[in-house]
Amino acid sequence: MNIDSRAVVRTPEQPALRSGALQLKEVRKRFLFDQRELTVLTGLNLDVHPGEFLSIVGPSGCGKSTLLRLIAGLDDDYEGHIALDGSRVAGTSLERGLVFQDHRLFPWMTLEQNVAFALIRRDMSAAARDRLVREHIALVGLSGFEQAYPHQLSGGMSQRAAIARALVNEPKVLLLDEPFGALDALTRVHLQTELQRIWMSQGSTMIMITHDVDEALYLGDRVAVMQAHPGRIAHIVDVDLPHPRDRAAPLLHRLKDDILAELTATDAPRSEAVVPLTRRRSG
Amino acid sequence: MSAARIDEATLRRSVMVASPLAVLLAWQVLSAARVFPPEVLVSPQAVLAAFGQLTASGELARHLGESLQRLLWGFSIGSGAGLLFGLAAALSPTFARLFDPLFQALRQVPVLAFIPLLILLFGIDEVFKIVIIAKAAFFPTALSTLDGVRGVPKAWFEVARIYRTPLPSLVWRVLIPATVPAVLSGVRLSLTRAWLVLVAAELIVADSGIGQMMEMGRQMFRLDVVMVGVVVCGVIGFALDRGFVLLQARLLRWRAQPAGAAA
Ligand SMILES: Nc1ncnc2c1ncn2[C@@H]1O[C@H](COP(=O)(O)OP(=O)(O)O)[C@@H](O)[C@H]1O
Ligand SMILES: [Mg+2]
Repeated sequence: MNIDSRAVVRTPEQPALRSGALQLKEVRKRFLFDQRELTVLTGLNLDVHPGEFLSIVGPSGCGKSTLLRLIAGLDDDYEGHIALDGSRVAGTSLERGLVFQDHRLFPWMTLEQNVAFALIRRDMSAAARDRLVREHIALVGLSGFEQAYPHQLSGGMSQRAAIARALVNEPKVLLLDEPFGALDALTRVHLQTELQRIWMSQGSTMIMITHDVDEALYLGDRVAVMQAHPGRIAHIVDVDLPHPRDRAAPLLHRLKDDILAELTATDAPRSEAVVPLTRRRSG
Repeated sequence: MSAARIDEATLRRSVMVASPLAVLLAWQVLSAARVFPPEVLVSPQAVLAAFGQLTASGELARHLGESLQRLLWGFSIGSGAGLLFGLAAALSPTFARLFDPLFQALRQVPVLAFIPLLILLFGIDEVFKIVIIAKAAFFPTALSTLDGVRGVPKAWFEVARIYRTPLPSLVWRVLIPATVPAVLSGVRLSLTRAWLVLVAAELIVADSGIGQMMEMGRQMFRLDVVMVGVVVCGVIGFALDRGFVLLQARLLRWRAQPAGAAA
């Protein structure tokens, strides 16, 4: 039932039903590093549809984390335009949740306290807070571990807890930076299925960075392929399959081959990196 | 299975008391063999008898009370000041630059080297002793607080920013818990240092306290009294440290206990 309503939301005919539309226009990010300027992202355009699951893959160091930090508002120093539902992104906001690769749970707080920490700015009764926390712990399948400290949780459980903490504010957009990158293969597959279920039961737009092309295709409505030097989106692959998905779907395998071919052909981008640098110096 | 575990626990406990027992035995053998004159190497029995007398007369309790009171004051002042100093130096680069050379230099001077100067300044009253103890307690806490606050990972602050944590909550719920482990290990060192310095200072100048009791014993050639002081110093120091470790374990319940680290 959830699945059906989900499919309806994502048709272009009814885009206004759900908020969580993210727009990036000509985004450029430069770091000053050792007195030198390093262009990490340039000419980055992206439209993320409300309620969509967008996967981002790309070679290591191409600026994926940097991009996510800009969207999260952890770094405000960029050129171009980033807007959520029409308003420009400035600083962090409870509308934009972020899950880091390392779960970043506070070790001195229990699971329950960690999740409740996300609600620190929310004005609500203790009862309402407790209910929200309990619901989200249940959503990620950790009921019964409310009083556990992070050192008592496995890597997979910690990452589930981090997802619960990020979702408890019901953000419009959930950003996930290689959330399963540090987990073993089996746990990863399990959590991918769980994340798909969670996404289908929530209203959030999700943007997930991953270095695992299978994972990107299994979860993503679309997969954005990034290239490096400087970082940009090379192209976007539509994954035209309904959720929940079958990992064995032939389309997924065909698309995987295409994307891997693109990611491994890395000679061209290097020479391009010289162009913006020289252009800037002469101009 | 459970019998084996009990045996193991008993074994571990017996190992713990093995070295004190060995020392006691050697002491007994040496004194019984009269290797040294009995007035110099008093026998354990004589020390026990002196302990009984000093306890019955209330003398030991009075000296110990005086010492512990000084310890409490000196340690609290020194460690508290160290905490504030460490915080200020970690949070304000200007403060750190201003005081770092002085801090580093003073840190290298043994506490006892200040005694002549402090006697001239404060006489040999309580103030002098408390200043000496505070000086000893100041540095370990200051250093560990400085390192602890500076070492809080940027990652925690990012999580706090994501959830728009207000400053008071940031301090109470993130900064302080993240710093407490480092601070506590510094405070533990401060407590040990304070106790050592206290006894040493009382040996040199005091009109009461456990060190003074030992010094009087020495002057009157009552080495049984001196030995009572030595044993009491060791036991009290040990008990203070153990007590602190228990407190530490209680405050840091959330940390994974390394295997076999039970207090
Ligand atoms: N704070 C920073 N200062 C300077 N350079 C940075 C900083 N953060 C990231 N970079 C550089 O930006 C590039 C992209 O980093 P990142 O976004 O972490 O890549 P990815 O997540 O795709 O692996 C890297 O070359 C990295 O060295
Ligand atoms: Mg990254």
